[in-house]
Amino acid sequence: MSNQSLNAFMPIIIMMGLALGLYGAALLVAHLLSPSKPGGKKDMPYECGEEPVGSAWSMFNVRFYVVGLIFIIFDVESVLMFPVATIFRKMNAMGEGTYILIIFLSFISVLLEGIAYCWKKGDLDWVKSYKRSADS
Amino acid sequence: MENTIAGYFLKFEPLKYLVTNSSAWLGFDTTVLIGFIIFLTFGIVFLGFLATVGGFGTIAERKISADLQARIGPNRVGPYGAFQLIADGIKMLSKEDIMPRDADKFLYYLAPFLSLFGVVCTIAVVPFSENFIMADLNVGVFYALAISSLVGVGIFLGGYASNSKWSLLGGMRGASQIISYEIPVTLCIMMIVLLAGGLSFGAIIDEQAGMPWNWYIFHNPFTFIGFFIFFVSALAETNRAPFDLPEAESELVSGYHTEYTGIRFGLFALAEYIEIFVVNGVAVSLFLGGYHLPFSFLEGTIPGNLLQFGTFFIKTCVLYYVVIWIRWTFPRLRVDQLMSICWKYLTPIAIFNLVGVAIWIVCFDGQSMFNLLFTGASHSGGGH
Amino acid sequence: MFSDILFLSSSSLIIASCVLMMWTKNLMHSCVYLLGVLIGIAGLYLTLGADFVAATQVMVYVGGVVILMLFAVMLTGGKDFQSRSQKILGLLPLMGSKYTFMWGSATAMVFGFCQIYFFRHLFFELKVQETTSNQYAPTIEKIGELLITDHVVAFEISSVLLLGALVGAAIIARPRKERPAFLEPDHHDDHGEDHH
Repeated sequence: MSNQSLNAFMPIIIMMGLALGLYGAALLVAHLLSPSKPGGKKDMPYECGEEPVGSAWSMFNVRFYVVGLIFIIFDVESVLMFPVATIFRKMNAMGEGTYILIIFLSFISVLLEGIAYCWKKGDLDWVKSYKRSADS
Repeated sequence: MENTIAGYFLKFEPLKYLVTNSSAWLGFDTTVLIGFIIFLTFGIVFLGFLATVGGFGTIAERKISADLQARIGPNRVGPYGAFQLIADGIKMLSKEDIMPRDADKFLYYLAPFLSLFGVVCTIAVVPFSENFIMADLNVGVFYALAISSLVGVGIFLGGYASNSKWSLLGGMRGASQIISYEIPVTLCIMMIVLLAGGLSFGAIIDEQAGMPWNWYIFHNPFTFIGFFIFFVSALAETNRAPFDLPEAESELVSGYHTEYTGIRFGLFALAEYIEIFVVNGVAVSLFLGGYHLPFSFLEGTIPGNLLQFGTFFIKTCVLYYVVIWIRWTFPRLRVDQLMSICWKYLTPIAIFNLVGVAIWIVCFDGQSMFNLLFTGASHSGGGH
Repeated sequence: MFSDILFLSSSSLIIASCVLMMWTKNLMHSCVYLLGVLIGIAGLYLTLGADFVAATQVMVYVGGVVILMLFAVMLTGGKDFQSRSQKILGLLPLMGSKYTFMWGSATAMVFGFCQIYFFRHLFFELKVQETTSNQYAPTIEKIGELLITDHVVAFEISSVLLLGALVGAAIIARPRKERPAFLEPDHHDDHGEDHH
């Protein structure tokens, strides 16, 4: 990998600006071309023809949050593994292959225990049966 | 900036002349400024190209699905219905922009922008050819992975801001699906990073130069399985059937984009189709050899670059066809099946592949299967 | 030149998003402005040449933490996310009761004074230091080498820490075991749970 100047990130800022420009241009053209007659039955949220009852924002099941938590842990783990994975071949060529392999495998195995625990205790099930939650 | 598109074009005589003249005229070194203008031009070109590809993706989807279902599909607008995308675009631009009552105005406007933003920013690192790459970052693959997680936030906010129970449910399911399937994708990418020794797209593709058996998909059996894991997980990340529960037509009306009309819905759909192309492009770059041809032909010149770009485009379109084919063949998965596939099947298999590749590198010194077979054969041949 | 543009845009994004985050009375809007702050911080990491850390910031914070916070807000959702406005506090653009306002202002003042005290030398040196070169060495290989050689124990312990966080979060998020007797379900109703 070579040294990289900060100018290498210029295209990214350009694409961000182009995304903003595309969105703005699309909205502008649509504003000019489309009719605008608000009101009436059009404004109601669609519920297959029925009138919506109550607010849409109700309490949700905790399973969404559990999935998010497990995702964060694995995300951080994979981010920590990326630098080690990058120098793996270099270390192997230098003769330290077994050492880095042991480090790598011990890191993964600890997290495999985590996923095994969640699996066994039923946290990965989307539908928790009453029997499971009564046993835990 | 050297091995990007701006650096490539700055090697040509007319632009060098322009740089020296404007430097003398303005007083400072205008290489960066001219580079900026080149980047801007090609950013617009690539964005327009990908938007058109996204539009043709809609036509391709309708024609291929029609073919699979023994009917004809749109064939009135233009030859074989090829201009249908223009008709669809004009229709969407002229539809009224309805915001549901009590919707959250700011988030309603923001959600399609976040999805579009997340997808457009990944275009900057996609390697179209050897010199036609906008930003060959040292952390290219990682950056693409990170920015594409903005699409999940956009989906969730779109579902939330619509003030409709179906949209909210679709949005939450969509967000949890996208974040869950990011884990197998990240693990499969890490497998390739182990083999390539770097995160930049240019380095990964250069390792696969030459004959098709140098591609990483044929490197060892673990990467072969890994390609399919990556493909399936990426399919789920783009909310594509059979994983399209967040926008399930038969269950949630239209999921998180039910209440969006006109061009904003068009931008959501465009973001999805561009994302499919970008994800297929990443899969081609990582596993199928990127833009390399078996022979190096006119390397470094514009026709050579266009040839490589054509190779990349053909490989990506083959994967695009497979994506559409899968959509119209398999039934939709239920939400608990979706989650259990990710966490109980794909993630353990991806971890197993990762461990396998690491052990392969240490045991066989990172040589591919074909290298081992050929050198083994030549050794045994030379021993006689 | 480009690093100046990057620095100015990132810091203005951070400051604007922070001010908006404090100003708004809607909790969901605050989470979205937090998104802006985190992207701005990633831009600031880029100005220092830490490209891997910037991408990590986007991946972990934007892709994970913000979605998790949005889920958490939805999980505790009630009728309204707007804060209840009292007579005087309703005029102020902040969320919260008078206690949060008091403690918040006190903490902000203490923190502000500490910062000004620690960086007091900067206010007298108005000359900006020139950055030497625009070339940054690739960071990810160096991070990898340090993780393997100098900080290998910390690396392994961090995996155990992540395991502890995972198990702890799973335990906290699990439904409680004890339930009143009249809510005990029939035992032939094992698969009666709804698919949400």
